[in-house]
Amino acid sequence: MWDLFISIFVNVLIWIYDVVGHNFGLAIILFTILIRIVTWPLNAQQMKGAAAMQALQSDKDWQAIQKKYAKDKEKLAQEQMRVYKEKGINPFGSCLPTLIQFPIIIALYQSIIRALASTPLDLLKLSRSITLPNVSDLIPLNSKFLWMDLARPESVLIFGFALPTLALIVALTTYVQAKLTMPAATTPGDQSAAMSGMMSIYMPLLLGYFALTFASGLSIYFITSNILGIVQYAMQGKANWRSLIPGGLKSK
Amino acid sequence: MRKKLIIVTMILFGAVFLSACAGGAVRGMSWPGLATDGQTAYLADGPFVYAVNLSDGTELWRYPGSRNGKLTFYSAPAITPDGLVIVGSAGTDHSLIALKPDPKTSVPVEAWKFTGAKDHWVAAPLVLNNKLFAVNSDGNLYILDLQDGQSVKDATVVKLDGRLWAQPTTDGERVYVTSLDHSVIAVNAETHEVVWHEDLGGAVPGSAILGPDGMLYVGSLASKLEKFDPATGNHQPVLDAENWIWSTPSLDGDTLYFGDVDGNLYSFNTSSGKLNWKPVKPDGPITANPLVQNDHVLIATESGSIFAVGNDGKVLWTQQIGGKIYTTPVAAGDLTIVSPLETDFYLAALDVNGRQVWTFTPKN
Repeated sequence: MWDLFISIFVNVLIWIYDVVGHNFGLAIILFTILIRIVTWPLNAQQMKGAAAMQALQSDKDWQAIQKKYAKDKEKLAQEQMRVYKEKGINPFGSCLPTLIQFPIIIALYQSIIRALASTPLDLLKLSRSITLPNVSDLIPLNSKFLWMDLARPESVLIFGFALPTLALIVALTTYVQAKLTMPAATTPGDQSAAMSGMMSIYMPLLLGYFALTFASGLSIYFITSNILGIVQYAMQGKANWRSLIPGGLKSK
Repeated sequence: MRKKLIIVTMILFGAVFLSACAGGAVRGMSWPGLATDGQTAYLADGPFVYAVNLSDGTELWRYPGSRNGKLTFYSAPAITPDGLVIVGSAGTDHSLIALKPDPKTSVPVEAWKFTGAKDHWVAAPLVLNNKLFAVNSDGNLYILDLQDGQSVKDATVVKLDGRLWAQPTTDGERVYVTSLDHSVIAVNAETHEVVWHEDLGGAVPGSAILGPDGMLYVGSLASKLEKFDPATGNHQPVLDAENWIWSTPSLDGDTLYFGDVDGNLYSFNTSSGKLNWKPVKPDGPITANPLVQNDHVLIATESGSIFAVGNDGKVLWTQQIGGKIYTTPVAAGDLTIVSPLETDFYLAALDVNGRQVWTFTPKN
């Protein structure tokens, strides 16, 4: 089943690669746009869920429940679930798209490695994945894109020091995206804002580490996806630009 | 709080899963390289090159003595007339290393090391008249002088194209290089000039072979067997296979044996230009070169089997080794040495009837 998933990714990537004139970097960018379009409803649901959770933090009934059952965790959870039900909020609605991202990232990483086939074993596996007709003239795919080899981790040699530029860009764009979508804290103990704050630190570090360690084709996906996310939020007027300024999100 | 836990768990799961992807389920990044000098089997397999005594399957030495993160091996070693074992690394340092076995120690001495290449070594080098013709994934043919270990730093570099994964072939006058960029290139063995460069329409992961008719035969991922005039490079397809031809054809008299990744074994008569018999289909994809024996040919399949096929296309015997076999088996006296993947052992020695004589599993 998983291998079928990878095969679909590989075939779509190779098809795009063929259409755009044998440029695998461009194929990854277009594929990422395709993924963003397919997951658009999920992202919209995330924003809706985040907004609902944010609104709930300033709800007086919600705050009263927090105070009343502060020492009874079980009862607090029951009451919270009741409020979620009453207001029609899915508490996991805002994190579902984040969870969906991971199988996609893993599948894309495996697809890139398989499609670029830097070892004989990878090339043999590729032969099993291809269902498109007459692609033997495309194999092997050109792994060069700008200054990068998309099958390998990227770095640029500056004064004898290998600077991982893509990893830095991945971390930066992930940070910007996380910050822009971070809700303003409505109360001093706003859990939702606190969690978003933590994620805006952990996610750039984690994705930056992935970019540093794995094939640079994956970094192209991260960067494109982050930029598209920022653009999507901005187009919907939901980007919180103030949050990029230190102290810009403090509750009043 | 529960949301945070779920996200953190998924992140950790993703990190572990991605890390697992990088290594793969096999011992190294690809299938091992195998060679023999008749006394010893040399296995390039992941972090080490092993020398194994053919008489009993015991380890004689390994290189390096302990794991080195920069080194990983899967190209078949080449053995020079003076006993050097030359093997290229697919690790990050891209080195080509000449090892001189030292009977006094369990680690061979590095006779020399060439670090001028820019990418992985996948193919075994070719030894010709005290010169080493070594092709690299960076698209270059490196020509090293074997007489003077110091001169390896000043290798002659012939810039070709594409990833070069197959051992060059020679007729003494020219060296023939195949490339994943779909081409076959002839290089003058003395002047090192490119004589001709021809496109096949499909990548060529295997080597070319000279037929008894003096022509050059090459299989490709365009699923065709092509015949070349070695002097001019003029070529034409002589056979359409069912799928990609990965292996290098093996010659027995005027017959060429080769397999495809659909699992077909072909027996092509170079005199008549026709198949001797309808392709035999053992039990799995064939990437290993057929191994010609006295009255039969041995075929290794991805299903982990060895098939002995007679000259008439009839299967004489089969032996299930286990795992997956991609590496070309080698013959040494009455033994056939096989290196499967995904098995507990790294080597198995078979006798002339396919019975297992010994297996080799490295300690530690």
